[in-house]
Amino acid sequence: MYELFFQKFNEKVPLTSEEQEQIKAYLTPKKLRKRQYLLQEGEVCRAIAFVEKGALRAYTVDESSNEHIIQFAIEGWTISDLYSYLTGEPATYNIDALEDAELVLITRTAHEELLRTQPKYETFIRLLITGAYIALQRRLASNISLPAEERYTCFTETYPDIAQRVPQHMIASYMGLTPETLSRVRKKMADRR
Amino acid sequence: MKTMQTIAIIGASGNMGAAISKSLAKGNYRLLLCANELNKVQAVAEEIKSSHPAATVEALDCSVEASWEADIIIAAVPFAAEREVAAKIKEVANQKIVISIANPLNDTYNGLVTAPDTSAAEELQKLLPNAKVIKAFNTTFAADFATPVIDGKQADAFIAGNDAEALQTVSEVVSTAGFSPIVAGDLAVSGTLERMQLLLIQLNMKYDYNWLAGWKILHQ
Repeated sequence: MYELFFQKFNEKVPLTSEEQEQIKAYLTPKKLRKRQYLLQEGEVCRAIAFVEKGALRAYTVDESSNEHIIQFAIEGWTISDLYSYLTGEPATYNIDALEDAELVLITRTAHEELLRTQPKYETFIRLLITGAYIALQRRLASNISLPAEERYTCFTETYPDIAQRVPQHMIASYMGLTPETLSRVRKKMADRR
Repeated sequence: MKTMQTIAIIGASGNMGAAISKSLAKGNYRLLLCANELNKVQAVAEEIKSSHPAATVEALDCSVEASWEADIIIAAVPFAAEREVAAKIKEVANQKIVISIANPLNDTYNGLVTAPDTSAAEELQKLLPNAKVIKAFNTTFAADFATPVIDGKQADAFIAGNDAEALQTVSEVVSTAGFSPIVAGDLAVSGTLERMQLLLIQLNMKYDYNWLAGWKILHQ
């Protein structure tokens, strides 16, 4: 239920079994079925979700009802609307499950309490958010500076698991391409091989 | 848009469990009805689907699976069964709202089996130390759920618990069920609420209210 969470935690900051039990008391185990929402736009994001199993996405919907995927999350990743989580303002993201999922949720109240009582949790969260920030910078750089083909190659090389598990039209949305453009890019690449 | 919350009702084939489940079918909830006898709980789910075609409802025979998926767990079981249920769901109920509806009545309905300084809800909290136990739905009879407005007055439903956010969430659940929610205080108030229902049961038997009666606080 919390295996991967504590595996990742221990990789970054080793915990004693006592500390692990203390932290576990604040975690919420949650199963989500495919297509079920964890969060909908307009609602306050109450938890950071760590993915033990399955795949989720965060996306926004524009005025023309087009979905724009902000982030995917598979095993070992976290997903949330961090702005809403930290400020209590309504979320701008929707988060739903692309596959049946098992999550470990850290609610805002649990987060605050853990920050106050567990210095190792603070270190873990800092490393987690730093990692996510770097990933976001890279994604931004790739999106604004690389041509479509290189962008796609970069994505499949960085995240081979996601590329295999997620439908192509969602990958297109994530990269800011139309599904048709992505399909042409993939065909061009396949023709060259 | 409000994210749909999942509610697991353990003991959904019983009188109270079925009544609660039916009353919540009109809300923005995904209901997981569970009981040991799957066929009985399936019948309740079918009934809900026919009266509320838009309801999201499912019957399960596993309280652990249902509670793992749930945001809110309703332990719609008698006091004597709370220990067994708690042992099963302990891990998956971590940090979740668990509603205790039980009234720990003795066999002759003239007293409670719990000690004067505790309650069914507080005992459940001891068994589930990391859950947010909330007392609710214990001062209402099963028939009240179909008729929450009695003699022209909407019955009050009292809630007790220690977590402000959880109390707010459960107040919304109680409103959806059709009652007027009143937060009575922290979980230690549960003993009073359980004794209130003992009195109502005794009055019901004495004055033959036909199990359709409730509490209403009159105030300015």
